[in-house]
Amino acid sequence: MANGANGKVPHMVIEGIDLSFGGAKAITDISFTVYKGEICAVIGPNGAGKSSMLNVINGVYTPQQGTITYEGKKFAKMKSHSAAVMGIGRTFQNIALFSGMTTVENIMTGRNLMMKSTFIENALGVGRSRREELEHREAVEEIIEFLGLQSIRKDHVSSLSYGLQKRVELGRALAAEPKMLLLDEPIAGMNLDEKLDMACFIQEINRNRGTTIVLIEHDMGVVMDISDHVVVMDYGKKIGDGTPNEIKNNKDVIDAYLGVSHDN
Amino acid sequence: MYYRETGQIVRSYVKDRSMVPLREDRWIMAVFLAFMFLVVPFIGNDYWFSAILIPMMVLSIASLGLNIASGYTGQLSLGSAGFMSFGAFTAYNFLLRVEWMNIWLAFLAAGIVAGLMGIVFGLPSLRIKGFYLLVSTLCAQFFHEWLFNAYPWFLNYASSGVVHLPYFHYRFLPFQDQIFDMLGLAKEYNAYVWRYLITLIVTVLLALAAKNMVRSSTGRNWMAVRDMDIAAKVIGIPVGKTKLNAFFVSCFYCGVAGAMYSYCYIGNLDFMIYDLRRSFLVMFMIILGGLGSILGSFLGAIFVYGWPIFVTRFGDAVFGGGYLDTAFVENNSKIVVGTIIVVLLIYQPLGFAGLWNSVKHRLRIWPFRT
Amino acid sequence: MEILASLVTAFADLFSLFGLEVFVGGMLSGIMYSLVAIGFVLVYKSSGVFNFAQGTMLLFAALTFVSLTERQVNFWVAFAITCVVMVIIGLIIERTVMRPLANQDLLSLFMATVGVNYFLEGLAQGTWDSAVHGVELGIPTDPVFVSEVIPWLDILVSKFDGFAAAVALGMVVGLYLFFQYTRTGLSLRAVSDDHMASQAVGIPLAKIWAIVWAVTGIICFIAGLIWADRLSVSFTLTWAVLKGLPVILIGGLTSIPGCLVGGLIIGASEKIGEIFFADVFGGQGIEHWWAYLTALVFILIRPTGIFGERDIERI
Repeated sequence: MANGANGKVPHMVIEGIDLSFGGAKAITDISFTVYKGEICAVIGPNGAGKSSMLNVINGVYTPQQGTITYEGKKFAKMKSHSAAVMGIGRTFQNIALFSGMTTVENIMTGRNLMMKSTFIENALGVGRSRREELEHREAVEEIIEFLGLQSIRKDHVSSLSYGLQKRVELGRALAAEPKMLLLDEPIAGMNLDEKLDMACFIQEINRNRGTTIVLIEHDMGVVMDISDHVVVMDYGKKIGDGTPNEIKNNKDVIDAYLGVSHDN
Repeated sequence: MYYRETGQIVRSYVKDRSMVPLREDRWIMAVFLAFMFLVVPFIGNDYWFSAILIPMMVLSIASLGLNIASGYTGQLSLGSAGFMSFGAFTAYNFLLRVEWMNIWLAFLAAGIVAGLMGIVFGLPSLRIKGFYLLVSTLCAQFFHEWLFNAYPWFLNYASSGVVHLPYFHYRFLPFQDQIFDMLGLAKEYNAYVWRYLITLIVTVLLALAAKNMVRSSTGRNWMAVRDMDIAAKVIGIPVGKTKLNAFFVSCFYCGVAGAMYSYCYIGNLDFMIYDLRRSFLVMFMIILGGLGSILGSFLGAIFVYGWPIFVTRFGDAVFGGGYLDTAFVENNSKIVVGTIIVVLLIYQPLGFAGLWNSVKHRLRIWPFRT
Repeated sequence: MEILASLVTAFADLFSLFGLEVFVGGMLSGIMYSLVAIGFVLVYKSSGVFNFAQGTMLLFAALTFVSLTERQVNFWVAFAITCVVMVIIGLIIERTVMRPLANQDLLSLFMATVGVNYFLEGLAQGTWDSAVHGVELGIPTDPVFVSEVIPWLDILVSKFDGFAAAVALGMVVGLYLFFQYTRTGLSLRAVSDDHMASQAVGIPLAKIWAIVWAVTGIICFIAGLIWADRLSVSFTLTWAVLKGLPVILIGGLTSIPGCLVGGLIIGASEKIGEIFFADVFGGQGIEHWWAYLTALVFILIRPTGIFGERDIERI
């Protein structure tokens, strides 16, 4: 694997992605690199194509052009399932939990890729099925403890508050032990306490588990604080790419965020 | 009140995922099963076996089957009676044509064949969703009526279109003849008490298997597909495979229920019985009982099947025998069932099972209120 | 091999004058399904509900009308009374079932209509009776030779089907004009796109739904009359109506002209299947499932139907 300019190892290289829906262009020629073990923030105004970008990365949308190189393997299009198998986890902007299940069950679904028993074994409920259930339950309990979800373990997720639902969703993604986590607005719509908690969780996951994190966020304070690398999008194009400090001083980015007069 | 959780502390994951978590519930279950297995065969009469217990259990299994596809996996189906029919015909033809066949293997085969048909008619679910799937399952429903009509081989060329199932098809014990001789029992293998026991055993086993599946990865995958299929795909659940798996299991249950319907309940094989009306009835059972609930499948089946009987008996008791004609009873149950469906959907979308759970919850915390 | 040979013969037979007659006759008889489909689509379009009670509403209307005329009520009086009854039923369904369930998921709404379906079935047969009633509206049923109009086209067509086609066409055109050119129609289209948004801009959702259900009641009555004349009034009417399902899937769930096209396709496919391909499968009566298979094949190729709109799934 080729090392980057500053000794960092690329985890995923995105090259020349184009995505459109019918006539509407969502993403135009986006390229950037996510390095192993970093927190990469994708920022930009609403409608800039950030969520679409995440959807391309884990195969929900298929781009018309461009490639994604993940851990050295090049793909013209990702498939959701193989993205999950390769260790890409994901949370959604509008929470996508399984509303008819409890917290524990939701997080358990995250481990389904590691559970090998067939439905016949599960119907009989002995041997491997039983063993797996207990083993993975233990792993899930660790996540529950980490995220502080003990008291709502057996609650149906539809009865939980927004902040807690976001946390459960993070837990579900985490349960798959991903190498890369895509977080779509993980702290949007939360109060200050919840925001701080979530930011801590993200940093802890990144540090202790070495998980690469790609996140979309509007809260600039948090983004600049926790991320190592920022990509800025506007109207489906990339207008900035660098460390938080570089981005702060990037003229295009300032123009996009603060507006610019087009008279001259 | 009666339910006291205090002191029942869960200390291991084994205990935490036990099927019946409360000690009191375990007692009730044990006593109930012992009663059904050990007492009912001796005190029950043919009316109770044939008109109440057997059909209720058989229909419960059918509704459990439909609940797996519709309630747990969110795949609508209007073909459950069709899959029951496939099961019934499979069981009959295996018992008719295979020398060493016994009724347990025949039921298993019934389930497997119906399950495979389920996969065939479930294939469109890979590409279409929701209401569209009604068309596929309706196709199954009408296809079986045509198939068994067009190919009389399946009915062993019975001229009337109905086969009476012979007593020697009911082979449920090894060395059955000798054992019956030894015990001095009459060789009426199709006596209702045997049919009752066969039904009871199959019902208990299938209910246990269903419970095991829904609390394992299989069931979680079903529910994940039902609740949010895109998210399911993204966390690596094979959505298509899960749907087909649910169709197989669902139709397996329906197939076994169909075979039992013929062998244990009516004692005839007749494809006309498995018509669209029966598919609807099974659907009503799961809506009333509660989508995505095993207990609900049973409660719904018991109510939908039992209500007309209750009305008839009630009418007989109050107004004297034969006062209520069958048309009245039928229309009455349609109106009652229809009304309850709507009322439950508005006030308690989880059906009878939901009602039961809230009652239980109140009992647990009594004298406090929620 | 044998099957293949008979399949080839069947296809060869298809391209004959007789084949054309079957095709045209089939298309016209498919209009009967369109009549039902229109009601389905109207409700689906405006409230996103897949109204399973359609068939029973149809039966209820036909049964009410027949029972009235059998009791020596004047034809037009019976007609008017049935119209009023159907409007009331539509309004009651809207008020007691649909409104309390507004904003529920589609599955609950669908199941609610299944419940309404069962309720109405019991009510219809409980109020009147479960016997089979004949109806004679005086719609001519004799066939006409198309060659009298188009000399080279030597085929037979049923006048009855022609009449049904005219009624269906009238309804489609009427509804189309209504949706495109009236204020209520505009509100209806807005509601079908987005309940919440239309409420926010001040469209009275309850009133709109009430109108839809009332209109649906009347459409059911008209379709019910024609179906009753064709088949006679009995419980089986509610099943015949299920064929409206494949029709709307082919047409696209939200398109009213799609009902016509879907009906033509299903009708033609059904008749051609029955007459030319039943023997290949080894038995008559395949038309009971052939229509569903046709729709299935069709939506596998084009999941949104002919005129349906495609949703981009956003997450």
